[in-house]
Amino acid sequence: MKLVMAILKPFKLDDVKESLRAVGVNGLTVTEVQGFGRQRGHTEVYRGAEYQVDFVPKVRVEVLCEDGDAQGVVDAILKAARTGKIGDGKIAVLPVDQVWRIRTGEMGPDAI
Amino acid sequence: MALGGYGRRVLLPGSDVDLMVLHAEPEAKDAAEVAERLFYPFWDAGIPLGHAVRTLDACLEEARGRVDVASSLLDARPVAGDPALVRKLSTDLERELRAGGEFVDRLHDDAVDRHGRYPAVSMVLEPNLKEGSGGLRDVAMVRWVRRVDDAVRLSDRDAAVLDAAEEFLVRVRSALHLEAGKRTDRLSLEYQPSIAEAFGFEATVGLDAPDALMRTLFGHARDVEHVRDRIFRGPDATRDIAPPVSAEEVLDLFARMASTGDHPPADVVEAAERVVEATPVGPWTERMREAFIDLLAGPHAGRSLESMDRIGALHRLLPEWEPVRCRPQRNPYHRFPVDVHLIRTLEGVGRALQGEDEEPMVALAVGAVEDRRALLLGGLLHDIGKIGRPDHAAIGEKAAGAVLDRIGVGKPTRDDVLFLVRHHLLLANTAVRRDLTDENPILDVAGVVEDGRRLAMLYILTLADARATGGHAASPWRLALIREVVGKVQNVLDGGRGDGPPPTVIGERIEAIHRLLAREDASTVSRFLARLPRSYLLAVAPEVAADHFRLLATPVGRTEVRTVTGPGERPGTYDVAVVAADRPGLLARIAGSLSISALSILSAQAFTTDDGTAIDLFTVEPAFHGEVDEDRWRRFRTTLRRALEGRAWLEERVRERRAHERPPAAPVPTVVRVLDDASDFSTVVEVETTDRIGLLHDLARAFADLGLDVHLAKVATYGPRVVDAFYVRDLEGRKLGETGRVEEVERALLERLEAG
Repeated sequence: MKLVMAILKPFKLDDVKESLRAVGVNGLTVTEVQGFGRQRGHTEVYRGAEYQVDFVPKVRVEVLCEDGDAQGVVDAILKAARTGKIGDGKIAVLPVDQVWRIRTGEMGPDAI
Repeated sequence: MALGGYGRRVLLPGSDVDLMVLHAEPEAKDAAEVAERLFYPFWDAGIPLGHAVRTLDACLEEARGRVDVASSLLDARPVAGDPALVRKLSTDLERELRAGGEFVDRLHDDAVDRHGRYPAVSMVLEPNLKEGSGGLRDVAMVRWVRRVDDAVRLSDRDAAVLDAAEEFLVRVRSALHLEAGKRTDRLSLEYQPSIAEAFGFEATVGLDAPDALMRTLFGHARDVEHVRDRIFRGPDATRDIAPPVSAEEVLDLFARMASTGDHPPADVVEAAERVVEATPVGPWTERMREAFIDLLAGPHAGRSLESMDRIGALHRLLPEWEPVRCRPQRNPYHRFPVDVHLIRTLEGVGRALQGEDEEPMVALAVGAVEDRRALLLGGLLHDIGKIGRPDHAAIGEKAAGAVLDRIGVGKPTRDDVLFLVRHHLLLANTAVRRDLTDENPILDVAGVVEDGRRLAMLYILTLADARATGGHAASPWRLALIREVVGKVQNVLDGGRGDGPPPTVIGERIEAIHRLLAREDASTVSRFLARLPRSYLLAVAPEVAADHFRLLATPVGRTEVRTVTGPGERPGTYDVAVVAADRPGLLARIAGSLSISALSILSAQAFTTDDGTAIDLFTVEPAFHGEVDEDRWRRFRTTLRRALEGRAWLEERVRERRAHERPPAAPVPTVVRVLDDASDFSTVVEVETTDRIGLLHDLARAFADLGLDVHLAKVATYGPRVVDAFYVRDLEGRKLGETGRVEEVERALLERLEAG
């Protein structure tokens, strides 16, 4: 089993959700995060006052899936999230030791 | 004797049974035996039992020491045994508790402590029915206070209201114990649907059964709070306030409360309640309006509005308020009922206007606000359309309009308030759902707000709304995105590079194009319009845009090129529109093709859509005299197709043609300016130089060679002088300043122009 984790531009969340649903993913976790990479923060100006912004807001999406499905999940995210402009984000696939469904106690692929 | 709830004859499915054996001193041994025979069956049966064996003196002693024992004994009821003993306990206990008033004080302290630890019943979606403010402990407390303090008087109306509230709360709590199968006092979400059904609540338009249950519950809880507060505040002899006799005086009273924060004495509030009940619903007087506005601006406006709500003044004087009163909200962001949220938003706006918001940008925004009353009213009314139907912003605009008409607020305040209600979600939605590195969302917002004044008001409202929502709505993450939108929109509003109409015309032009294309399929037209860059809509007249509909209605294939040609505005000129999938070097090839087709470019505008389609518009004239006929256009198209396939061929031909050109008599000095701060979205490169064959091709080629994407271009010629503005980004969408390339690009362009 794998955990697919993606850091995305906030406005891409809806597109990615749709794309994942289309490949059969029905559950995911979303977190609001900040960071920087090659895309750095910037200076904002409002009415003559400057504000230095060091971090760029992103969203993190996490999806649990079976090993065989991971590539499909990655592809779905890549397709929906790409703009071609800097800051599009990254996807990582992490190995998962075990998964349980709390309500029923099921574990393994049945719990995904 | 039965104590506590058992004594009050209010035993719930999950309640303890509280029994006490009361005995005179000498009977201790018998009492113990009675107790054993009484209590063991309960324990054996597994029924939770509160048990005690006490003498009269012991009762009094413990009552003196502990408030909970005292109140439990106040509820005592004989089950069996010597009535004289019972009577003695009752009289002695009351005498004990009356003396000194300590019991009442301790009840009050206990309540304050309780209210601090549990959220109020009428404020949360999963209230604790017993402990929260407005819950069953408060009801019991009122009854105890009445037993021991003769000065406390409950009007018939208050008594009836309290009884009704207690009955409802007890019934809900009982249903909860039955549903949950255990003793719990927290009305969790999972039990609400079945309890609502059991109570016979039915779904109506805009209010489903669980919401109807909660709304009724909230109403009762507020009634309890109202009666309780009256009991505990009592007549306040320290201030001399005349009881109000008119609606105007009622509003004056609450305006004063909003200013000082002091609750008016109970008898004055009672008088206000009677006045309100007798006031017919209708338009307000000017004095009422001014008092209300003062109220809204006061530092304690929230408390004052809540007090008004408790006596029914708010929804009686403003019937439009009634649908949002006590209305629960169920979504991850909102936790408070709608009316509570509105009042809290108003308080947030008030704090911002007083300079108390910690966001640094807010202080600057406040400086730009001219009409504070519009902002206050906007804060109070922004969600008044949340009555359970979709699109609360539009519904709210109508409801808010009705409120403003009733209050008698004139234009332009009225317009500003309705603007705020209509668009209160704009900044937050744009911030989170749209690409802020793209100018289109920013231009859209600029088009809606129209000026910095409205932008500032909307920003303050958005922040206050977010803070009054609870949860993530006001997280630093969100606020940072909202700030970004506001800064960029203000820049656009300030920017006005003097070329073209303000963003506000975007809306009008979209409407005009819809009208011009009325015969086409509406959804295709909408999609066409949604794809168009806003800069295009600003630069191109609606009639021309409508003509381009055919070119852009369907997506363009990767190698496809669509052209439309026709006579231009001035005689002897022609308009050429080319649409193709954007790629590096595209503009150069189109410009080059025009040049080698002996067509001089008088002006040009190049745009790119979000989905990567280039829209390049040219006004050209033939390089030599004569007309440009269909044949010539056909040959141009062939040339263009060839140029798109191979660039070397094109460059050679351009050079060839230029070799035959005579140099101008008075060359224009070449100026290249690379401005990284002129726009938030691209670096602007301004070029002024002498016109010549293939100039646009050369410049566009230069950008492509530098790895720069031309997002937008404006080209104009004035005789021999060419003035160009190119909005460029690198291939990753960055401005030149971000990668320190400003000087490099400036130099490279100058070299290219001077070499040519």
